[in-house]
Amino acid sequence: MKYTYLILISLLLFILGCNQSESDKKNDSDKIVIGVSMLSMQNEFIVNISDEMQKKAEDLGAELIIVDAERSPLKQIEQVESFIAQKVDVIILNPCEYEASSPAVTKALEANIPIVNVNSATKVQPTAFVGSNDVESGRIAMKFIAEKLGGKGNIVMIQGLNGQAAQIQREQGAKEIMKQFPGLNMIAQQTAEWDRAKSMDLMQNWIQSFGTKINAVFAHNDEMGLGAVKALQDAGMKDKVIVVSIDAIADALQAVKKGDLDATVFQDARKQGAGAIETAFKIARGQQFDKEVLIPFKLLAKGDVDPYLK
Amino acid sequence: MHYIKNLRQYGIFIVFGIICLIISFITPQFLTVSNWTIIITQVSINALLAFGVTFVIITGGIDLSLGSIVAVAGVSAAMLAHPDSYPVLVPVFAGLFAGLLIGAFNGFIITKSKIAPFIVTLGTMTIGRGLALILSNGRPVSNLSDSFVFIGSGKIMGIPVLIVILIVMFILCSLILNRTILGRYIYAVGGNEQAARASGINVTQVKMTVYSVSGLLAGLAGILLTSRITTGQPNAGAGFELDAIAAVVIGGTSTTGGKGSIAGTLIGVLLIGVINNSLDLLNVTSYYQQVVMGIIIIGAVVLDSMNQKSNS
Amino acid sequence: MHPADEQILKVNGLSKSFFGVKALDNIHFDLKRGEVHALMGENGAGKSTFMKILIGLLKADAGSISFNSEQIENMDVHSIMQKGISMIHQEILMVPDLSVAQNIFLGREIKRAYLLDELAINQQAENLLLSMGLNINVRTKAKNLSIAELQLIEIAKAVSNNARVIIMDEPSSALSEKEVEILFNTIKDLKSKGVAIIYISHKMEEIYQIADRITVLRDGKYITTKHTAELDKSSLISLMVGRELEELFSASSTAQQEVILKVKNLNTKGKFSDINFEVYAGEVLGIAGLMGAGRTEIARAIFGLDSFESGEIMLKGKKLKIRSPKDAIREGIGYVSEDRKALGFIPELSVKQNISLSSILNYSKAWFINEKKEEKASSKIAQQLNIKASGLNQKVMNLSGGNQQKVVIARVLMAYPSLIILDEPTRGIDIGAKQEIYKLIRQLTETGLAVIMISSELPEILGMSNRVLVLSKGKQKTILTQKEASQEKIMQYALH
Repeated sequence: MKYTYLILISLLLFILGCNQSESDKKNDSDKIVIGVSMLSMQNEFIVNISDEMQKKAEDLGAELIIVDAERSPLKQIEQVESFIAQKVDVIILNPCEYEASSPAVTKALEANIPIVNVNSATKVQPTAFVGSNDVESGRIAMKFIAEKLGGKGNIVMIQGLNGQAAQIQREQGAKEIMKQFPGLNMIAQQTAEWDRAKSMDLMQNWIQSFGTKINAVFAHNDEMGLGAVKALQDAGMKDKVIVVSIDAIADALQAVKKGDLDATVFQDARKQGAGAIETAFKIARGQQFDKEVLIPFKLLAKGDVDPYLK
Repeated sequence: MHYIKNLRQYGIFIVFGIICLIISFITPQFLTVSNWTIIITQVSINALLAFGVTFVIITGGIDLSLGSIVAVAGVSAAMLAHPDSYPVLVPVFAGLFAGLLIGAFNGFIITKSKIAPFIVTLGTMTIGRGLALILSNGRPVSNLSDSFVFIGSGKIMGIPVLIVILIVMFILCSLILNRTILGRYIYAVGGNEQAARASGINVTQVKMTVYSVSGLLAGLAGILLTSRITTGQPNAGAGFELDAIAAVVIGGTSTTGGKGSIAGTLIGVLLIGVINNSLDLLNVTSYYQQVVMGIIIIGAVVLDSMNQKSNS
Repeated sequence: MHPADEQILKVNGLSKSFFGVKALDNIHFDLKRGEVHALMGENGAGKSTFMKILIGLLKADAGSISFNSEQIENMDVHSIMQKGISMIHQEILMVPDLSVAQNIFLGREIKRAYLLDELAINQQAENLLLSMGLNINVRTKAKNLSIAELQLIEIAKAVSNNARVIIMDEPSSALSEKEVEILFNTIKDLKSKGVAIIYISHKMEEIYQIADRITVLRDGKYITTKHTAELDKSSLISLMVGRELEELFSASSTAQQEVILKVKNLNTKGKFSDINFEVYAGEVLGIAGLMGAGRTEIARAIFGLDSFESGEIMLKGKKLKIRSPKDAIREGIGYVSEDRKALGFIPELSVKQNISLSSILNYSKAWFINEKKEEKASSKIAQQLNIKASGLNQKVMNLSGGNQQKVVIARVLMAYPSLIILDEPTRGIDIGAKQEIYKLIRQLTETGLAVIMISSELPEILGMSNRVLVLSKGKQKTILTQKEASQEKIMQYALH
């Protein structure tokens, strides 16, 4: 037994030692190395951002290390730590959460490695931010609903996972607009955790509860929006209720084209991905860069979607 | 005294009745045909998973790979269910086959290696999730044919297809467990595996069968889910296994094996569904829903252990 | 008063009911220092309820218990154990992955500055075992020891706990003769130290060897207390049963010429070698030998529970290929295991379901069980074997040991075997049920069934067998005919 402990301890020391000497090595090749930690590679929108990053990095001749945080802020922090140990030139972070992913940004800055947030924000300010202001997307969606309803009516809101930046900001934007229209009434809000099936269940239950009182649905993403559409269709109520959601994923664009979904807010994944790489590249080369690159949203209603369909 | 013992045995049925009664006083919409149609449709997918895992748990095992099987089966079916590609039976069989295959793989490894089912199915859970992502390239598979979508949202004589499937599966699973040799063997293996073997039961075969059935039903659940949300998602079904196991436990099936029923599981599934539904009707945040669910799970197990003590 | 005559425990008017049924009715009992007091009675006589009350697991409805002139009837298990009453249970309660020493000191570990003092624990455990004449390495894990060794360690644990009264419930049921000897030496040693022992056993021979006094319970009632010398065996039995018993055994006269089973050169390294025997229709072949002689191992090999390395098994002239019990049952071999709980029945299933388990295919059509047929068949055999249950749907776990055994035998018989192996068929069951099982064996041989009976009880072997095969250390020593066989001769071969 005692030998086992001895061996284990010496093995541990050995590994630590190796790690030390490896991180001491200077990255002497000219190629810029960018470490990327993505929220979740199981999400279509995020996969789109990362695909565009890869393309852009190839064009610029930078080396990308993309890792998947699988929605875990803890994992994300560990990934950033390992980027720091590898001495990458720049880190791109697609934060899991507003607060919980902040330590990742702090750690990178403390290690003097520039860090660029893409798509969503953290509480701690990074070196640069590339994305869209999610508050704006909430405003755009709610403004559309307000116009369609003529400033009067009952709204239900299907939220993303509570506590995430996208959820907080989209809700904030929507509520800002609602203040301007006192005739708009939020009769229920609840999370469906970004999930289509869960949103469908929730919508069914609301239909039971409120029936025809519901005039419009605002869903924080398209998956949930499409779930709500399905529930309304099954109940034969779709033509009486307006549904708007955000992201403009392929399914949603199809649905808008067919008239099932009234509108989706286009968040430009490609521009976000490309913009993040461009900014990271500039920082690494020591060139001038913008601290905040905002990719504008665009509301897509029926008739707008064709150019966006592949 | 005898009366009280019976009360305990049917404890979960009574708890269910009382909860329904209370809810119907608070929300008038609760006790309507349309609301119950919705509740039963919503629980149908969890019910299929729970039926399958009931068999497994009665043999003293566990199946954690259900959620991943849902995803693999869903994605495989969706890939073959585009309009004007194959007749609807092809994606359906593909989904069922995928589920059966993973289930049989579970059974094979568990019986051959003697590794605990918990570990083996934990492994296939991860493998399955990976397979679903590989098959779909990490993207949802959409654009499904109308006939495929009909399974999840169509109606037969005014009754949603999902409910019809649920009823058929309930009757089928109950019959298997209560009336067939296989059912008797399942109880025997879970009650005392060694004695079952010494009684001439092929324990390996029984275990292979229960894991395959569990996989098959999870495959069916995957098809239904895909058809219901009209897209095959590689990340669908995450955590479904826990809901299914919770329903089985609430329904009075003992996690140590040898005891349990499909009817109990159905009540467990409905109880979870009713609580989710009513808290939504009351617009209570999901935070509270989780707390309530946890209390009910623990309560059910306490009830079960009290029942066991009074028996011995 | 002489210290040895000093009363240590006095029980007066103890009563206890479950659901309105009296399990104990006005029990009296007393125990003196340094005495071995046997508690006798059939299963269901109230012995275990009585003991559970004594150690505080159950509360009595009425009556008093005084221990060292202190009333203890309302104390809990823990305080009673601390006062000095310990029970050695039938099932050994030890943590398999802890060492012997760690088990002995479980819950009262010796510490030095918050850390476990393993050295002191091992040292003290070793002294304790040596003082009892046990030569066991205290660093061995409990799972690597035999049941007998574990039992002796349990006793050592009780002693180290300063027990003044030790209750032993069927302590010898899993022990070989030699181990029983060690146990009895330990008991004598404890006696000389003034420890009093309440001894529960179904084995008459042991009682007469070790007990000073005997108290008999029947149907929850106190019958009598007598000095062992004042009570002969047959009157003890009739006190327990409440009626005169006919002669226990009756020799078979139905042995036929037809060979049912033929075992040739059966061999598995480390278990048994060169086993050769035949069993004829209508006869009982007894297999005798000490624990670990390979008796059960041979039975398991024939029944397909374990595989064997070489040799041949032929049933009615047909060479068998048996890979599992399923094959053996199909070929017509039945096995009633010595370990009823592990290999006998499914506790959660009903009497009916257990009885039909091995023959369910006969009561079913296309996968579906025909419950009417099943009910009819199992109710018939339950009546034949006189299985006492509240109904065919009662769970087997709620039956007494004797009735559980009958359910297992019923299950085996329902598969229509031509050979049945009974491994310790009467272990741990009361004398009434024992007699019924002997009768049953007789009836079975009369119908032409071949029976192999493995037993540690020589009177049983001698009384029931047409021939006796004696094993020693995995080797077949001899096969004695009924005329040749005697207790001395069998032991002579068994110890060889």
